[in-house]
Amino acid sequence: MKIAKPKGLGTVSVNMTPMIDMVFNLLIFFILTSQFAQLETEEVVLPLSTTATTKDYTEFRNVVINIVNKDGAGEIIVFRRPFTPQELTEHLVELNSKVSEEGRQMNVILRADADVPYEDVARVMLAAGKAEIRGWWITTEIEKRDDARLGGR
Amino acid sequence: MKIKRPGQAQKMQPPMTPMIDCVFNLLIFFILTPAFSLSEGYLTTNLPKESGPVAGREQKLVQRIKIELYNVGRSGEFEDGAKNEFVSIVFNETQNLGANFDALRAALDEKRGQGLAANTPVLISPTMGCLHKWVVRAFDAAVSARFTDIQFAVPYQ
Repeated sequence: MKIAKPKGLGTVSVNMTPMIDMVFNLLIFFILTSQFAQLETEEVVLPLSTTATTKDYTEFRNVVINIVNKDGAGEIIVFRRPFTPQELTEHLVELNSKVSEEGRQMNVILRADADVPYEDVARVMLAAGKAEIRGWWITTEIEKRDDARLGGR
Repeated sequence: MKIKRPGQAQKMQPPMTPMIDCVFNLLIFFILTPAFSLSEGYLTTNLPKESGPVAGREQKLVQRIKIELYNVGRSGEFEDGAKNEFVSIVFNETQNLGANFDALRAALDEKRGQGLAANTPVLISPTMGCLHKWVVRAFDAAVSARFTDIQFAVPYQ
């Protein structure tokens, strides 16, 4: 009688094809769904809010105005460039006139640091008011309603 | 010596290892990067249509709610959970709510319960030195109480 010799483990080959299929699918999914931090946003510590919601901003022409905290004072930055309130007013007036010609509505997306004095925010608000821009969106960090700090409200 | 016969073509196998390395790197990148923008939201409002001096224009007397915020320095109370921040909230020029934004929300809820319309103007009036996050908290409280017409005053001394 012929007895089969134990062959040992040999080389184990993993079937790569289904794994590569899955990885490609995941890759395509993440490429298509990801939203990148845009060039116009600065790094700020946003204030917390329980009522803020994510919104579709694509229907408006938006201008992102950052107010970063520089040693306790607010510095206005638009598209990586620092602005004085006066320069900002001129910039917004110019932008708004262009956008009005296109028949679209202009919107300010404010990204102000949580710890900047409110008067710096008010300066931007006045500049937007002078440029006759009505839309005023305040960017915040969304805080969960069931946060223990808020007593589960 | 083993001689390969012509016609017995070997299976072509492209090198998979570097490709898989690249694909995994890309995958990890795309999984990690979108997390930055996921937790952000917007509080939407409109700036007033009329700005500048209003002398000579007809003024309407309407009932409104006023929320004043003061930076009271070290003599004040701690804002809930935060350190070294001192705010005092005055509701409708009469009630001092200390630094308690939950109490502000309760006061606004009470007003709504008394039958005040949702479009009653709520004026948030921060004084000099108030921080942006306090204004956002006050705004939050007004939105939570389902008020729709929330206005901001420019800080005064």
